[in-house]
Amino acid sequence: MSKTKLGKNNILLIEDEESIRSFISTTLKNQNYKITTASDGSSGLHLAASLCPDIILLDLGLPDMDGMEVIKKIREWTAVPIIVISARSNEHEKARALDSGADDYITKPFSTVELLARIRTSLRHSSQMHDLTSTSQKPYHHGNLTINFDDHVVMLDGTNIHLTQIEYKLLTLLAKSSGKVLTYTFIMEKIWGPYTDNNNQILRVNMANIRRKIEKNPATPEHVFTEIGIGYRMAEGD
Amino acid sequence: MKYTNLDKKNKFTSSSVGRDALLTILILAAATAISFGFFYIVPENSANIALTYITAIVLTARFTNRYVYGIIASLVSVVGINYLFTYPFFQVNFTLTGYPVTFLFTLTISLIVSAMTTQIKQQGDILVEREKLLMDAEKEKMRANLLRSVSHDLRTPLTGIIGSSSVYIDNYHSLSEEEKLNLVSHIREDSNWLLNMVENLLSVTRISENSMKIATSMESVEEVVAEAMSRFQKRFPNAHVKVQVPEDFLMIPMDAILIEQVIINLLENAIIHSCSRLPIELTVSYSSRQVAFCVKDYGIGISPDKLDTIFDGSCYDPKGSADGYRGMGIGLSICKTIITAHNGTIIAENHAGGCQFIFTLPREDEHE
Repeated sequence: MSKTKLGKNNILLIEDEESIRSFISTTLKNQNYKITTASDGSSGLHLAASLCPDIILLDLGLPDMDGMEVIKKIREWTAVPIIVISARSNEHEKARALDSGADDYITKPFSTVELLARIRTSLRHSSQMHDLTSTSQKPYHHGNLTINFDDHVVMLDGTNIHLTQIEYKLLTLLAKSSGKVLTYTFIMEKIWGPYTDNNNQILRVNMANIRRKIEKNPATPEHVFTEIGIGYRMAEGD
Repeated sequence: MKYTNLDKKNKFTSSSVGRDALLTILILAAATAISFGFFYIVPENSANIALTYITAIVLTARFTNRYVYGIIASLVSVVGINYLFTYPFFQVNFTLTGYPVTFLFTLTISLIVSAMTTQIKQQGDILVEREKLLMDAEKEKMRANLLRSVSHDLRTPLTGIIGSSSVYIDNYHSLSEEEKLNLVSHIREDSNWLLNMVENLLSVTRISENSMKIATSMESVEEVVAEAMSRFQKRFPNAHVKVQVPEDFLMIPMDAILIEQVIINLLENAIIHSCSRLPIELTVSYSSRQVAFCVKDYGIGISPDKLDTIFDGSCYDPKGSADGYRGMGIGLSICKTIITAHNGTIIAENHAGGCQFIFTLPREDEHE
């Protein structure tokens, strides 16, 4: 895998649980990240402003303020990637956090492998944001799937597969943010425009069609994963 | 004592008293109107009139909440018949030949009927009350059962975690690398098991305590199956499951998190209890009314005497304590609770080469 640029990346962790802070810090230090921790929302906000971290890990359940508030305050002045750490059962909260500006989320309890993958993905996306000027995009590869954005071609095992206009738009939207979860709301707005109704059935149907075209078994997908109640995530490209 | 109890229950609000009085008046007025009809068509047959009034009295007793309305209705009827329908008309005259007898019989019949109806209604109320008490007791028993098996189930892995970590800390310098790794992997295994248990228990809190109902939304069957599979594979990376979903795209009303939990519980159950390494099959099929999910293993099956009680949560076996906490008592009873809340069904059965669990979910929301 490619090394992250510039050597050490600065990570700010806002989390009130001592034991979780300690295990995340240990993991990240071992991976050569520079990590700073805050145990509540207000000190987290101060540190975010003074340190300008490359990435923020934020626990939503903080003692002094709502995690959602923290996201909004940070988003007032910076686009630094925020990864939300949240408990499983509350899918609405996760979707809300993503829609109010968080970049990704990770569900407690998570493995260190998962955490590191999310951090790498977010760092890669934020560095890509800086060179949006380049008009051509590198093709997406994952397993037997290849998407060539410049030629509008999707290949499976080397053969060209036919997608409708909408399906192609959907797949490329997911592929360009591969590794990141995109919420229903976000996808609906990007594909069908800002004034579509809340019913995302049309999105589900299109995703089902895509699945039948690119997955061997729709029940055990390899490329596009569902995050129930939240949205979809495409596997990170090889 | 019973009486005071009922008395308390019978303290109705003034609006219900008003309602009952109004009802009594309406029924009697209707009876009078009908009787006038009879009187003009067949004036010589006064039996019809008496019967009409008796019907009115029965109805009054049936639809009002107290004795007194039935009695009032009886009195009014007897006097009314005398006043309106017997000669001399529009006069109360009890000296008519035989009339005192008619009067007495009508009054007696009315009183008995009215008393009987009221009594039946009260008995009905008592029955309902008793049923509710029984149900509460049943719920209480289930809760106690659940608590008992939860505490039992939680204690075992916790003992393991505390024990392993104490050994690790106390003997840090004397343990070999391999022993240390072994201890820590035990801790991880036990914690994962605990986590699964807690998630199961948490999932129950999504079901509303009183109505046993859940908030459903239209979900894609294949997406729910896929997510359940990926969560399951995370816990059991070596497990082999053959999954098959219908070619057609299905959306049905459900709480996806809960259904995922059911699928995971059934798969885990199959892995742990089948004592077999043959692949498990997860198959989804559907008809016009419902969608069926089947988890089939090729293992030792379920002993027939356990089949009936397998979803009760009470089938954990205190004797099998060595490996006891791997018991799925709670998991299966939670499956049952979840599926019932979805208006679905769940069954367990043996087939030629093992056992299978099948649960169905209705395709249409019955409330809409």
